[in-house]
Amino acid sequence: MTQMTRPDSTAAMLSLRGLHARVGDREILKGLDLQVPSGEVHAIMGPNGAGKSTLSYVLTGRPGYEVTAGSAELDGVNLLELEPDERAANGLFLSFQYPLEIPGVPALTFIRSALNAQRKARGEAEISAPDFLKRARSCAADLKMDFDMLKRPMNVGFSGGEKKRMEIFQMAMFAPRFMILDETDSGLDIDALKVVSEGVNALRAPDRGMLVITHYQRLLDHIRPDRVHVLADGRIVASGGPELALELERHGYDKYARAA
Amino acid sequence: MNLDEAIRLRDPAQLPSRRDEDWRWTDLRGLLRTIPEPSSPLGPQAIGVGPFEGLAAESLVVANGSGPETLRVAPGETRTVILRHVSRGDGAHSARLRIEVGGGARLTLLESHEGGGSSLSLLGVDLTLEDGASCERLVLADLDPEAVAVVELDVELSAGGRYAQTVLTTGARRQRFETRLRHPGLRSEARLDGVYILAGRKHADLTSVVRHTGPDGRTDQLTRGFADGQSRAVFQGRITVQEGADGVDARMAHNALILSDRAEVDARPELEIYADDVACAHGATVGALDDDVLFYMRQRGLAETDARALLAVSFLGEVIERIDFAAGAERVRSWLLARIGAGV
Amino acid sequence: MPAVKDTLEQVAGLEKYEHGFVTEVEQEFAPRGLDRDTVAFISRKKDEPDWMLAWRLEAFERWSAMESPDWARVSFPPIDYQDATYYAAPKAKDGPASLDDVDPEILKTYEKLGIPLREQEVLAGVTGAPRYAVDAVFDSVSVVTTFKKELAEAGVIFCSMSEAVREHPELVRKYLGSVVPVTDNFFACLNSAVFSDGSFVYVPPGVRCPMELSTYFRINAAGSGQFERTLIIADKGSFVSYLEGCTAPMRDENQLHAAVVELVALEDAEIKYSTVQNWYPGDPETGKGGIYNFVTKRADCRGDRSRVSWTQVETGSAITWKYPSCVLRGRESVGEFYSIAITNGRQQADTGTKMIHLGEGTRSRIISKGISAGRSSNTYRGLVSAHPKARGARNFTQCDSLLIGKSCAAHTVPYIEARNGACTFEHEATTTRLSEDQLFYARQRGLSEEEAVQLLVNGFVREVLQELPMEFAVEAQKLVAISLEGSVG
Ligand SMILES: Nc1ncnc2c1ncn2[C@@H]1O[C@H](COP(=O)(O)OP(=O)(O)OP(=O)(O)O)[C@@H](O)[C@H]1O
Ligand SMILES: [Mg+2]
Repeated sequence: MTQMTRPDSTAAMLSLRGLHARVGDREILKGLDLQVPSGEVHAIMGPNGAGKSTLSYVLTGRPGYEVTAGSAELDGVNLLELEPDERAANGLFLSFQYPLEIPGVPALTFIRSALNAQRKARGEAEISAPDFLKRARSCAADLKMDFDMLKRPMNVGFSGGEKKRMEIFQMAMFAPRFMILDETDSGLDIDALKVVSEGVNALRAPDRGMLVITHYQRLLDHIRPDRVHVLADGRIVASGGPELALELERHGYDKYARAA
Repeated sequence: MNLDEAIRLRDPAQLPSRRDEDWRWTDLRGLLRTIPEPSSPLGPQAIGVGPFEGLAAESLVVANGSGPETLRVAPGETRTVILRHVSRGDGAHSARLRIEVGGGARLTLLESHEGGGSSLSLLGVDLTLEDGASCERLVLADLDPEAVAVVELDVELSAGGRYAQTVLTTGARRQRFETRLRHPGLRSEARLDGVYILAGRKHADLTSVVRHTGPDGRTDQLTRGFADGQSRAVFQGRITVQEGADGVDARMAHNALILSDRAEVDARPELEIYADDVACAHGATVGALDDDVLFYMRQRGLAETDARALLAVSFLGEVIERIDFAAGAERVRSWLLARIGAGV
Repeated sequence: MPAVKDTLEQVAGLEKYEHGFVTEVEQEFAPRGLDRDTVAFISRKKDEPDWMLAWRLEAFERWSAMESPDWARVSFPPIDYQDATYYAAPKAKDGPASLDDVDPEILKTYEKLGIPLREQEVLAGVTGAPRYAVDAVFDSVSVVTTFKKELAEAGVIFCSMSEAVREHPELVRKYLGSVVPVTDNFFACLNSAVFSDGSFVYVPPGVRCPMELSTYFRINAAGSGQFERTLIIADKGSFVSYLEGCTAPMRDENQLHAAVVELVALEDAEIKYSTVQNWYPGDPETGKGGIYNFVTKRADCRGDRSRVSWTQVETGSAITWKYPSCVLRGRESVGEFYSIAITNGRQQADTGTKMIHLGEGTRSRIISKGISAGRSSNTYRGLVSAHPKARGARNFTQCDSLLIGKSCAAHTVPYIEARNGACTFEHEATTTRLSEDQLFYARQRGLSEEEAVQLLVNGFVREVLQELPMEFAVEAQKLVAISLEGSVG
């Protein structure tokens, strides 16, 4: 039950303490502690079914994911009290492991509506149509995306890799303060992985934070994490520097399965 | 069962009831014990301005059952006509209109159903399209919650012609749009679309009967809508392909969203096929807004009501996109937007 | 002249309907006609307790006040219920005690039909082949039930309905009529008054029935109807798979078959009910004769997480009128309906299912494949409804019709009623003919037209055939081919 928490955790941007959560009758997070200081990128690795996606849904407030104990704060704001869209307006962005299709709503329409809703919630002015388009074109170019794809209904009929790229495109458009990437690398080809990683790295900044969930070192070759955590059976069971990911790649999760 | 006679003879026994298979979800006899007194005539100030105002120079008004009885479009002519059906008060009235569209002519009919009060009304329209004639009918129906209204349309389509309609309604206490189309095939086409947005205790019934009597006809139907509150939506579509009507291609789709636990959607999409060389299909779905999609949208920052409205608009928008008359489609779109808040 | 012609046609038809022979046995009949005495006669013949007779008589009174329904898309001349025999049984000494007591002619009948009544024959079959127990019903009575002992060891009761009334009155009284109430419909009510025999199955809690159970129905006697009654109860956590097969001789007059089947699935129980219906369809040219198959089949998924699946292959009967249904009462209970309905000649079929979602999280699935050929008419009629409490209810329906020939008809009449904001229904239907391109492709590879049609039809119905217990799937596939003979060219 010993956790490795950093001593300066009070300064953390994202701060999770003793988080317990369940889906239906099943407890999935069982006392999770995690601190991500501003400016840092932390990776979360762990066996299938450990609760990684669950953590990302709990933080973003997905209905059906019930927090039974513990706290989750972003810059001192209690996330658990906010609606999902309020969390988004507070700068929390999740790149979904399985992005959803929204039939009938062109991607650009969707993104513009969402961006303006966030700005409105923060008391900022709406972005003008030309500014929006300019920004969209430049982000699309950065991510080497075909602009016409953005006119199609959101994610409908997109390939797995295209959907992931669309997630990062939105992330670039919103420029959120805290990002959770849930297996954004899966489904991406080698070139796409590079492009997407560059997009992610471009958003690294001293006042931003990032949680990268992945199974593979190859993503961490592109997005160098400051810390790596192992999530097993609903808890963080080990934390370390980037070298921990390499060790996991070699030895797997066996020893943590027992520890958990 | 004969609604026209029920109104004229004030005989409730003639009202359609749930025992009539085609009216099982739109029971009028169970609703009305007696037939109200005949409605009194309406003065011009009671008629006001209709939703299609300004889109056509020519306008016909049927007010509390009285108005013109015929409309004729000469062969080769192209015309846009507004038809307003206005009901006020608590009486009963019925009217019948004959529309003839001559060979090769084109008619755009912008039809609205307004007011309603707590009246019982019937509007019957006989529409004949001669060879190569076409007609597009746009209907906006926004009636008072206590109105009981039935609109019956009989369409006679001819070779090489085209009939298209889009009925948009917010329902009434009981409301039915029934379209019966005789489809001779012979390279003629029909499109029968519908949209309903129901809330409160409203009811709307979109019923269609398409009879393919000859070869090589096409029919395409798309109806979408949502039911909130304690409302009830009814969709009945029957496509019949008679013996010898080979090469018919007929498709029908009905997609409904139920937004409240006390709303109801009933559907009966029917195929009745007596010819073997056909391609006919129907699809019907009923469901709620997808919670996962809603969450996804909210994660990107949209408030729940906005996310719902956006989904609703795009869901219904696909029907609007099929309207040919662009100015009409625009008018219909803003009409829809104005009502979606109430419905979602 | 007409008599000669009829005979010729019958002989010609014989080749098509291979089960059309008549068995010569000594039989005992109830007097023609239907009144209280007929009901009492049947009850007496079966040595029934008083409560059973009272139940029948009440049903008879109710039925006398009802009218024959007319909403199905089938047409037939009015049936004269007084001009039929309601009880026909092979003469035997108080019901056969063992196979040796059964009239050898009857045994030959089942042999001809390929139904194994001798347990050792089943055992002597291919090693490793699944065994199945049979209840053979000949006209109004069950003549033999096999494997009773072995089943009894597992605690499974499998016997004729008559025996169940006598031996297991507590179960019968508790469940009979609890799924299909006496007055449910005209034919169910008639059945309740005059039902003759049928199968009774009870599977105790937690038991997985060790073998397939099956009942084989045979109408033999002329001018008689068959009114069998089947009741299957799967107690908590049990499983049973049951198959029903039917044939009848070719006769010129129409014969009425008005059965009632009730299934009860308690908590976590599962019942798989399969039917291969091949009653005599009548003369394909004239439409003369054939069975009127008016059947009420319903399952009550009473317990949470219970599951019932109906699979039917309907190829016979002049008129079929049946809607095997599921009342999904238990939370998260599941109902399934897989159907192949084939009509040819002058046959009329109006069949489908009802899925009534009452409980939360209930699910149903409907796959219906209709094939019409000749001058037949084939209607799918279905109802899917979700009640206000059935939150999370889901249905998927796929309903495909195939037309072969210019003079047949296919109809699809689904009713969908959704009464809460958390249900999801999806319904798809198509009507097409066999694709010329596919036919050509198959023929280019050397298949005859008939073979090509068979191949494509098999593909069309595959999804449903897969649901049948393996040993019957092959049979059913052959039946599909036979039913469509003469439909091309
Ligand atoms: N809605 C749900 N109902 C029941 N159990 C659920 C539900 N959602 C997730 N779970 C279970 O919770 C556990 C954690 O799931 P989660 O998706 O968080 O795993 P993960 O660590 O992201 O795995 P992966 O690496 O495969 O993505 C799994 O055992 C999963 O089956
Ligand atoms: Mg995951």
